[in-house]
Amino acid sequence: MAKEKTKESLIHITKRDTLPQWKSWLIRIISIVVALIFCALIIVLLTGENPIRIYATMIQGAIGTSRRVWGLLQNVAMLLCVSLAVTPAFRMRFWNIGAEGQVLIGGLATTACMILLGNSLPTYLLIPLIFITSILAGAIWALIPAIFKAIWNTNETLFTLMMNYIAMQIVSYFAYVWSVPKGSGAIGVINGSSQAGWLPTIFGQKYFLNILIVAILTIVVYIYLKYSKHGYEISVVGESENTAKYIGINVRKVIIRTMLVSGALCGIAGVLLVSGTDHTLTKDTAAGRGFTAIIVSWLAKFNPIYMVLTSLLIVFLQKGAIEIASVFELNDSFSDIITGIIIFFIIGSEFFINYKINFNKKEEDK
Amino acid sequence: MPVPSIELKGITKTFGHIVANENINLSVNRGEILAILGENGSGKTTLMNMIAGIYYPDEGHIYIDGKEVNINSPKDALDLKIGMIHQHFKLVDVFNATENIILGLQEDKYDIKAASKKIQDTCQRYGFEIDMNKKIYEMSVSEKQTVEIVKTIYKGADILILDEPTAVLTPQETQKLFAVLRKMREDDKTIIIITHKLHEVLEISDRVSVLRKGKYIGTINTADANESLLTEMMVGEKISLDIERTDPKNTADRLIVKGVDLYNKEGVQVLHDVTFTAKSGEILGIAGISGSGQRELLEAIAGLKKISGGEILYNNPSTNETENLKDKTPLQIRNLGVRLSFVPEDRLGMGLVGNMDIIDNMMLRSYRKGKSVFLERKKPKELANRIINDLQVVTPDAKTPVRRLSGGNVQKVLVGREIASSPTVLMAAYPVRGLDINSSYMIYNLLNQQKENGVAVIFVGEDLDVLIELCDRILVVCAGRVTGIVEGRTAKKEEIGLLMTKMKVKEDKDNG
Amino acid sequence: MKNVKKILAVLMALALIVGCFAACGSKEETEPAKKETKLKVGFIFLHDENSTYDLNFLNGAKAACEKLGVEYVIKTNIPETNECYEAAADLADQGCNIVFADSFGHESFMIQAAKEYPDVEFCHATGTRAHTEGLDNYHNAFASIYEGRYLAGVAAGLKLNEMIENGTEINGTVVTADNAKIGYVGAYTYAEVISGYTSFFLGARSICPTVTMEVQFTGSWYDETAEKEAATLLINKGCNLISQHADSMGAPTACETAGVPDVSYNGSTVEQCPNTFIVSSRIDWEPYFEYIIACVTDDKAIDTDWTGTIATGSVVLTDVNEAAAAKDTQAKLDEVKAEIEAGKIKVFDTSTFTVDGKEVTSYTADVDTDENYEGDTEVISDGAFLESNFRSAPYFDLRIDGITLLNEKY
Repeated sequence: MAKEKTKESLIHITKRDTLPQWKSWLIRIISIVVALIFCALIIVLLTGENPIRIYATMIQGAIGTSRRVWGLLQNVAMLLCVSLAVTPAFRMRFWNIGAEGQVLIGGLATTACMILLGNSLPTYLLIPLIFITSILAGAIWALIPAIFKAIWNTNETLFTLMMNYIAMQIVSYFAYVWSVPKGSGAIGVINGSSQAGWLPTIFGQKYFLNILIVAILTIVVYIYLKYSKHGYEISVVGESENTAKYIGINVRKVIIRTMLVSGALCGIAGVLLVSGTDHTLTKDTAAGRGFTAIIVSWLAKFNPIYMVLTSLLIVFLQKGAIEIASVFELNDSFSDIITGIIIFFIIGSEFFINYKINFNKKEEDK
Repeated sequence: MPVPSIELKGITKTFGHIVANENINLSVNRGEILAILGENGSGKTTLMNMIAGIYYPDEGHIYIDGKEVNINSPKDALDLKIGMIHQHFKLVDVFNATENIILGLQEDKYDIKAASKKIQDTCQRYGFEIDMNKKIYEMSVSEKQTVEIVKTIYKGADILILDEPTAVLTPQETQKLFAVLRKMREDDKTIIIITHKLHEVLEISDRVSVLRKGKYIGTINTADANESLLTEMMVGEKISLDIERTDPKNTADRLIVKGVDLYNKEGVQVLHDVTFTAKSGEILGIAGISGSGQRELLEAIAGLKKISGGEILYNNPSTNETENLKDKTPLQIRNLGVRLSFVPEDRLGMGLVGNMDIIDNMMLRSYRKGKSVFLERKKPKELANRIINDLQVVTPDAKTPVRRLSGGNVQKVLVGREIASSPTVLMAAYPVRGLDINSSYMIYNLLNQQKENGVAVIFVGEDLDVLIELCDRILVVCAGRVTGIVEGRTAKKEEIGLLMTKMKVKEDKDNG
Repeated sequence: MKNVKKILAVLMALALIVGCFAACGSKEETEPAKKETKLKVGFIFLHDENSTYDLNFLNGAKAACEKLGVEYVIKTNIPETNECYEAAADLADQGCNIVFADSFGHESFMIQAAKEYPDVEFCHATGTRAHTEGLDNYHNAFASIYEGRYLAGVAAGLKLNEMIENGTEINGTVVTADNAKIGYVGAYTYAEVISGYTSFFLGARSICPTVTMEVQFTGSWYDETAEKEAATLLINKGCNLISQHADSMGAPTACETAGVPDVSYNGSTVEQCPNTFIVSSRIDWEPYFEYIIACVTDDKAIDTDWTGTIATGSVVLTDVNEAAAAKDTQAKLDEVKAEIEAGKIKVFDTSTFTVDGKEVTSYTADVDTDENYEGDTEVISDGAFLESNFRSAPYFDLRIDGITLLNEKY
């Protein structure tokens, strides 16, 4: 019989059953390998450099010296901390993209304590006070959009995004008020000589405490989400608000409570960045982590333990990319391109985990 | 032997490991009505979707008028003059019927007058009764369906596929639809109608093809068929259609609903002065066209919707006190000691959480117990395993997310959980929708068991045959009003059908 | 159980990675730092070549290193946070003999790194703390850009005179000796900015004695929109000529649109503004980079505070745009430049300006960066304010008569 139509699509896409764990991880690993090969092609075409050397430089840049390893771990810890902060809200399907601002406001509270009380309070009072005020500050900054969402059902994405800009402007303002020397617009290192309000150095490693705190937070958040009643309520609200109402969960209460937790964790990130790392505050203190955290959390499917891996991956790529830019004198944007391609492939691999592609074999059997 | 209008040869379609259709062969002639009969999940809709270009078969061939074709998209299907009327209508609410019909047509000129004329002709020819200037949101389900059919014909379809068209219709509306279909048959159109209602098959079709669990069982001439033969083909073994119904014992007024008024979010009144009493030890059926306020009524009782007038009283059998449930949240109702269980219509959107496993779904009702801030998963796990065993839930284990279970198993998990809390009132909205016959019977038996345990059971159903066989009393609603309460043992289908459309009859009189 | 396994797996993977890192790290450490025969310089820049400020440093750095044939490593986009310390320490780890940072906010972190690596020279532009920190290996550098500003002011004065003579109409008003007014877009009310606009104004007034000036601050070192708005505001307030401190194209484009002459900063904008651009002053950092490299090569100490001047070639003017500038501007500039070099003209000659109607004979400026923002050093001597004498970064912050600050909130 003659075919009426000659056109025929070559592929058809069908949804898969859930794949076994090992298979889906295999797909993810393959996707990274393919991404690296693809990036290598781009590198050769655009720069003429040897891709192997570029990758070696990346690895060198991320973990080449013990300082870099500590720097990497420190950055992983900071990114992970912010990612942990956004995760409870995300599991509730509350798209908090205001972590950047919440971290900044937390950092601002830390800065205020260090500058205003640094000389008058003893360390054992000052450090807890820094934590309390910063946690409160971050929580309040998150509470505002939560209340608007809970009561008037405003769009939390836009709201939290706008709160970021307000936070940045407030920080800019205080950076001017407290600037040293007056009028320069930069605060500089706070209490550089007395080190008042600085998180202590333990085991001779100034980042060790930061990393330890974040490691503990990771486990706490994991347990909170997985084994606590609050965590359970968050999941139910996130999956279906109707179900939550059906079993008598007060959805408003859960939204507000969860955003308080989110904001509080951002506040802690603010402390770790200002008091534990930079000892100063600029509007770049959060360094875009509030946004990168979204990717980290998504890639890890909102699982705090997996987030350790995803934040490690992203920081590794960032650090490696900066080194490429430096060694080969390529623009930083080039390294962003590489990072972007790799993340794109990783996200893309989720498609192949969920869907199967069938190639039509119709041609043979006319 | 004429060349068949559509012929399917060896069609196979799989989704993951599920085989939706396996090696199916079918043919339909012009001027013929073919009924595709099969239980829910037997693959009827999937098969038709392949003809309509929504899915693409993994294997097999499709021939239209003897020529092999590839149908990659609904547009390809339309080019071949195939049109499908889905269960979910695809209409723009704020447009009127005419606008919806000409929407998306690629004609050179947008000439609404000429189009209206053509539509009018089509309607007259086949006997559609519809006001083409009415907006979709003002229409009843039956009217919307009519618009869909007219739209499909207007676009030039010669082959019409209707997916469960009678599911949302009253018996009277069904008769009107059948009349239209017969006229189309006379006009030499090819019609395929998907259904799982035996009497409709016998009434309308010329031939009937039966599917069972994705497999093609056979085709027979309707003239040679009868209900028991078709049932056997459909379910594979002969089962009795009888539902065991015991007489109510020790009845007492459990739930008294008095003059309840309710407005929805848009401010439209959806319940008008609803009054009835549910008694312990009996099953109270609620019949009505879907969307007549059944869902809102149950949600109002459960405390999910705030009523604006009337009261909902509960007689507590353990304290002999009467509680007013009005203005109470579900949690407050629970805290009063009211043991109210509710199997909502929207199982995965309300009753259960799809992405959670069976154990975590068991906890939905009980997770608050105890002072600890942490969850206690031991008892829910035991309950989950008990339900899996007792109700024969087909699942790899209790840690499987419920969204991966089939519809029937999801329902067993939900009903199992709701019964486990030993309720005094059990409300179930469309509990057998989408279930195969065996699962349906298991649910009926569970409801009967609860009735025998002295529970006041409220059952919202759509299949009048089942309502009549299962319920002690049947409350009929129409457009948010109670139009009558009939005895299950003596009620006639036609009588309930009339009550279901009573308001409409009245309105028609007002208008006329 | 399954979860415990998962967690274990993740933890083990992490341990493995950390182990690897540590191994790599320790290897590096145990290797004794080889004495490189070839000099290596590390540069830390706040942004990359897309910022005119950083581009100016970047060009100087590359030119100097290539000229002297030394190795160099450049790190761009380093924020004014702990990242700067990490970058500086990392450069030191890589064997750099000199580490340089270009942004004011980098200073604290450079000092932190300098303390940790006493064998590496840390040099920082625009900073203020080298002379008080007491570190042998930490140095500040700046240039007497006020001299360049003064020269640019001379060009502005010539232009104003020409407009007065020709009765040129600016924004609907004829320029006269009485209404000659310069508009200046500043960043913050910060000594570097005040020193800049004051020297520019003094240069202009030395040519056009009746001129006055208005200053509008933006509160940012780089904000194109705010700078454009500020320039437009000044033009609408009747300013006949505009100059700016800030680095974006905001003010120059506003001038080109309104047809108001503009004296730019940090590089020529003649391409974008062919009709209004007169001249621009900038700091050329190449001499400084050559200086520090030479110091290290010859094993000589680097100045704690180094100030580049016109004489060292650090302060330069761009080519004069003949289309917009007054006639014979170049000749006049060469003449004044020679006089400055010869010491005949002092930019902040106290006889050329007054504060509150009086000549200033004594002033203590805030030269040392400490918690109290008070004057600590007498800076007037020999009839002149000694700018860049006690530290390289400017500290002139007198509010002289003739200049009105429109907003001071920043």
